[in-house]
Amino acid sequence: MESVMTRTVEDMTSVDHACAVPVSDEQLWEMTAAFVAGGLAAGEQVLYFDDGTATDVLARLADDRVPVERPMAQGQLAIVPPDTTRTALRSPVPQVKQIVGTAIDGALQKGFPAVRLTGQLSYALQRAGGVSLREYDDAIDEVIRDRPARVLCFYDRRRFPDEAIDELRAQHHTEVAVPAIYDDNLLRITSDRTGSARLAGEIDHSNRPRIRRLLDTTLDQALRSHSAPSDITLDLSSLRFLDVAGAVSLVHAAEEFPSTHRLVLLGVRPRVARVLDRCGAPFAAQLVLNQPETRTTHDGAHAAAG
Amino acid sequence: MKVENTRRAEAVRLRHAAAFYGSNEQLLQMMLPIVSGGLARGEPVAVAVRPSTEESLYAAIGDPAGLIVLAQPEGTDIESGQSVAANRARELRELTATAGPATVVSEHWSVLDGADGSFWTELDAAVNVALSDLPIELTCFFPEIPLHQAILDGAARNHPLLLSGGELRHNPSFRNPRDVLAERPAPAPVLLGAPDLRLTFGAWQLNEVREAVEHALTSADYGAGRAEDVVLAVNEVATNAVEHGGGEAMICVWLGNDGFTCEIHDRGALGDPLPGLQAPHPSEPRGRGVWIARQLCDTLHVWADGTGTHVRMRAAR
Repeated sequence: MESVMTRTVEDMTSVDHACAVPVSDEQLWEMTAAFVAGGLAAGEQVLYFDDGTATDVLARLADDRVPVERPMAQGQLAIVPPDTTRTALRSPVPQVKQIVGTAIDGALQKGFPAVRLTGQLSYALQRAGGVSLREYDDAIDEVIRDRPARVLCFYDRRRFPDEAIDELRAQHHTEVAVPAIYDDNLLRITSDRTGSARLAGEIDHSNRPRIRRLLDTTLDQALRSHSAPSDITLDLSSLRFLDVAGAVSLVHAAEEFPSTHRLVLLGVRPRVARVLDRCGAPFAAQLVLNQPETRTTHDGAHAAAG
Repeated sequence: MKVENTRRAEAVRLRHAAAFYGSNEQLLQMMLPIVSGGLARGEPVAVAVRPSTEESLYAAIGDPAGLIVLAQPEGTDIESGQSVAANRARELRELTATAGPATVVSEHWSVLDGADGSFWTELDAAVNVALSDLPIELTCFFPEIPLHQAILDGAARNHPLLLSGGELRHNPSFRNPRDVLAERPAPAPVLLGAPDLRLTFGAWQLNEVREAVEHALTSADYGAGRAEDVVLAVNEVATNAVEHGGGEAMICVWLGNDGFTCEIHDRGALGDPLPGLQAPHPSEPRGRGVWIARQLCDTLHVWADGTGTHVRMRAAR
C-alpha cells in the first residue's frame, strides 16, 4: 500500500490496525503509554505484549498521571509476560490467529466494549527461517476485521532494520506519528500548543543548548501571539536527569523573561528539583516549580500524554 | 580541566592570621585571650586544636556555651588539604549564616603532616579561597620549630596577618593562594589498586558514565537519594573533563568498605588550582558544577601533572 495516512495516537479510535515507527525509546514509551491510556479511558481491555519494556511504559504512565493499579488488578490492563510474548511469536500463524481471537472474544464476554493490543514484536525478527512478520500482520488483520479491536504495532528504528520497516510500513493502512521538536534518543521534546512543551529523558552537556533555544523560541511565539498564556509551561514529569548548567540555564531564562511572563515547571521529580534548588531556583521570582505530591496517582481523571 | 570560579566584587571578609609558639604554656597564653575575647563579644568560637590543647582550654575556661569543637581531619582526609578546607568552609558557612561573625582558632598537629608537611600548605591556601567571603577571624597556631621546614614556609606565605606580642601586623611574605599552589602544587594522592570499573568517555557518553556510576552505587546499597546526588557530583566533574580536557576522558570507580571512590582523568591543563571552593555568584553561569560536587562529596581532590588533570572523589553512604 503506497498511501499511508498519518494520525496521532488519540485519533486511533477510528482505526483498527496501525503501525508506528518510533525514533527513540522515549518515543516508544510515550506512544505506548498514550495508546494504553486511551483504551483505559474508553473502558476497553488493553493487552500489552511485553518484550522487556513494560517497566518503562508503566513509568511513563505514572508520569502521565494515568492510574494503572486498579485496571491491572481488575484485568482491564493485562501485561503479557515476555516469555509468553516470545512463545506466541514462535507459534504458527493459524495458532496466533486463534490466540488473538480467543483473547478478544474473552474480553467481549467479560463485558468490555472493545480490545486494544500493542507491544514489541522485534523478537520475531530473530527467528531463523521463520515466517515473516508480514504474515502475522495479515493474520491479525483477518482476526480483527469483524471484531471491535484496535492494534498498534511498533517497529522502532533501534531494533528493526530499515528494509523490514519499509516493508511493514507499506503493509499498514495507517501510520501513527507523534512529531517531536527534538529527539536525540537521550532527550525528547514535544509540544501540543503554543507556550508549552514537554521534556522527556535527560539533559546534560550534550544537549543542553537545545533547552535555551526551546525557551527562546517558545517565549517569542508566546509574545507574538494574542491568545497565548503568559505562563510558559515545561512539563518535566518524564525528565529523569538535569545537570547543573542545565538547571542554571532554566533559572537564568526565567530571570530574563519579561515581567509579564513566568516560567512554570510542571511535575518536577525530586532529583531534578534538588538540582534546581541548588542553582538558585528559589530566588528566581518568575520561576514556578510544581512538584507532584506523589508518584502513584489516585484513580479518576487522567491527563493524556502531551 | 579548566574550571572557572566566580570572581566576587565585595571585599574579602576573612581575617586570617598566623601565630608561632615556643612552648605549650606560651601557646595557651596566646590562644586563651582570643577564645575568651570572642565568647565575651557573644560570638561563637570554633576550635580545631590538638586533643591536649582542647583539654587545657576546657580546664582554663570551663565549658561555656558558644564554644564549638570542629572535627579534625582523619583517615583519607589528610590526602587532601583542599577537601578539609571545603568541608570546614561548609561547616563555618552554616554557623555564620545562623550565628553571625565567628572567631576560629586552629592549630598545627603533627599527626596530619603526612610525608613532608605540605598538607598544611595546601590546607591554608585553600582556606584563603574557601572562607574568603565568611565573616571569620581565623588564627592558626604553629610551633616555632616543626618537623618539616615546609610547614613554616607555607605558613609564612598563606597568612596575610601575623600575631605577635598580642598585636596583629601585616605579613610581607604573604602570597595569594594560587601563586602558593603554583609553586607547590597539590600532590597526587596515594595510588589505589585496580579499579572495579573503568570507562573512557567523551561529551556524548556522559549518560553512560551516569548509568554505570548509578548502577555501582545502587548495587553497593546506597540509598536512591544519596546515589542520585553522587551521580550528579560525578556528572559535573566528568562534564568539566570533556569540556576542557580535549575530548576523551577516563573514569575509574572503586567500591570498598569505606564506600564509593572514583577518579576522573583528562588531558587538559588545570587553569585554577583550587576549583569549586568558592560559592559561585548567582549571575555567573559557570563554575557551579564543581562547587556543588564538593558540597555533595566527602572529599574532592584536584591535582595536575604532565599527563593532565585528575580528580579523586570519595562519597560515603
